[in-house]
Amino acid sequence: MSTFEVDVNGRRRIVAVERLPQGWFKVTVDGASNMVDVERVGQFGLSLLFPEDGHLSGTVQLAPAASAGERLAVWEGITVPVTLNGRRHASTDGAGGRAKGEQKIVAPMPGRVVRVLVSEGDEVEARQPVVVIEAMKMENELRSPVAGRIREVAASAGTSVEAGRVLVVIE
Amino acid sequence: MKLLIANRGEIAVRVIRACRELGIPTVAVYSDCDRAARHVRDADQAVHVGPSPAVESYLRIDRMIEAAKATGADAVHPGYGFLAENAVFAQACADAGLTFIGPTPKAIERMGSKTGAREVAIAAGVPVVPGTDAPLGQHATDDEILREGGRIGYPLMVKAVAGGGGKGMREVRSAPDLLAAVRTARSEAGSSFGNTAVYFERRLLHPRHIEIQLLGDHHGTVVPFVERECSIQRRHQKVVEESPSLAVTPALRERIASAAARVASAVGYTNAGTIEFLLDQDGSFYFLEMNTRLQVEHPVTEMVTSEDLVHWQIRIARGEKLTLDPAHALTPRGHAIECRIYAEDPDLGFMPSPGLVRGIRPASGPGVRDDSGVTEGFTVPVFYDSMIAKLVAWAGNRPAAIARMNRALAEYEVLGIKTTIPFFRWLMGQQDFIDGRFDTTYLDHVLADRDESFSALSEPEEQRIAIAAGLDAWLKSASSPGQASGSQPANAWKTAARREALGG
Repeated sequence: MSTFEVDVNGRRRIVAVERLPQGWFKVTVDGASNMVDVERVGQFGLSLLFPEDGHLSGTVQLAPAASAGERLAVWEGITVPVTLNGRRHASTDGAGGRAKGEQKIVAPMPGRVVRVLVSEGDEVEARQPVVVIEAMKMENELRSPVAGRIREVAASAGTSVEAGRVLVVIE
Repeated sequence: MKLLIANRGEIAVRVIRACRELGIPTVAVYSDCDRAARHVRDADQAVHVGPSPAVESYLRIDRMIEAAKATGADAVHPGYGFLAENAVFAQACADAGLTFIGPTPKAIERMGSKTGAREVAIAAGVPVVPGTDAPLGQHATDDEILREGGRIGYPLMVKAVAGGGGKGMREVRSAPDLLAAVRTARSEAGSSFGNTAVYFERRLLHPRHIEIQLLGDHHGTVVPFVERECSIQRRHQKVVEESPSLAVTPALRERIASAAARVASAVGYTNAGTIEFLLDQDGSFYFLEMNTRLQVEHPVTEMVTSEDLVHWQIRIARGEKLTLDPAHALTPRGHAIECRIYAEDPDLGFMPSPGLVRGIRPASGPGVRDDSGVTEGFTVPVFYDSMIAKLVAWAGNRPAAIARMNRALAEYEVLGIKTTIPFFRWLMGQQDFIDGRFDTTYLDHVLADRDESFSALSEPEEQRIAIAAGLDAWLKSASSPGQASGSQPANAWKTAARREALGG
């Protein structure tokens, strides 16, 4: 039996996988066990059959994402991030209010800083816009994932920035 | 005829498809990052026109003309965006002896200026939204701007004279915000259109965006089509379009269509164009602007009329007469809905999410049309608009079309990048959308009040993904070296290939 820590959509789960003699798998998620008949389909797909759980069937695609170690799972038109063994990168998405401590706002893509909406020492609310960058021909507001205080502003209007460049640090 | 498509992505693919159907050879153009893009591979020939930034490639008129000459193309389709509404480009094509698949440079120029177009509409007896008569150029003083704002009244819209696609457009609710809005609109308009002039229009409080597609031939015939409803907009950008509109009765359709035809006829309009209107709650409608090109949302019109607008564009440019029945063009058959699928993360404020597409399985099946521009292995570039596909669902009536769209969205797989598909799945389930209770303010309004993720899954669904991830990890470790079950997948593939090569 192998045990993995899996983050699905920001929530950690303990998954234990055990191969059964007839070829099926017993997969236990947070203590609840499932009997699964699995087959790889294509490069990233897994066909899942649950012969003992209402005969449910479905396909999950697990393709590598831009950030290393992360995968994007696709299920019925919904895409969610998945990481294994907690190798999840710090991200600025505020889903579920998980963000804590120091937060860096980074440029998600190359672009040009159009406006900086905060200064050092400012108090900001969660989801408050802090920087506007122009990329892909649109102005995009980058928002603070948390309520906090601006510790550092490393961007200035008019400058070009590379993807991943830290623009604002919030504490 | 040999046709050069002065564009990229899904619209270039759309035009290439029409050309293939008509037996016309095609020439694609490409920038550095599009070297292996789908439109390049789908065309018969392809010419490199410059580095990735659009100003150095897809906006280079000289390179387009050279590419046509180098390949012997004698016609040019501009698609939409880039050079599509550029009168200088249309003129340069004419000067080089190339057939421009679109209206005349004069019509583009006349209707391309939003203030000029308003004058045409007024002269044709078509009502316009109350607004400034003359554009406010870059030398307009703050005093002049504020005086003009006060005269129009608030709320008002600041719009770029040369604008389009929601760029260079800002809503202003009260006087203190006006100067900042003008500055922003000017900066966007300057970088997108190279023209910083703006004008003001009164903001109708709950308007619907209704537009009329039309075709004009070179023999004086203008045929308007059944309306498109494009009120589902995010930050003034259309994201869902449908035809027909629930808000338009056959009698109103006749009136709007004939107003649109009057405006087009007034400038001797030829080829495909669209007249946009705002429809107020009391049933009165106002001319908004004309788009002198094919539109992104043209497929919904094609689906409900069974006419191919790109075929018609080419046939009209060849001098053919418009032989389609005007009554047929105005009578919708069933209902069509289009979702614009963008490489954007709806859970991060619709931030662009460019990157490598690891796989794509478009939806298909009855009544579904996929106009996509990317394939597996393509990296969605950061340089251009991030739309990767248009998904259209057609059915006999609107509820069935919504159900079909929902089915198609669930079927659509784009691997490796985030897209707006989860957002559309959410939208298709909103009661206000289902009931047709919306106007152009609807989407921004609901999105502003919304904090939850569009990608929320049920507990069993999340568990299923965790199961898949655990099994994926198990299968990988079982097939890695040191385990009894054998070699890495890559080696297994090599072994298999070798076996095949030996005929074994």
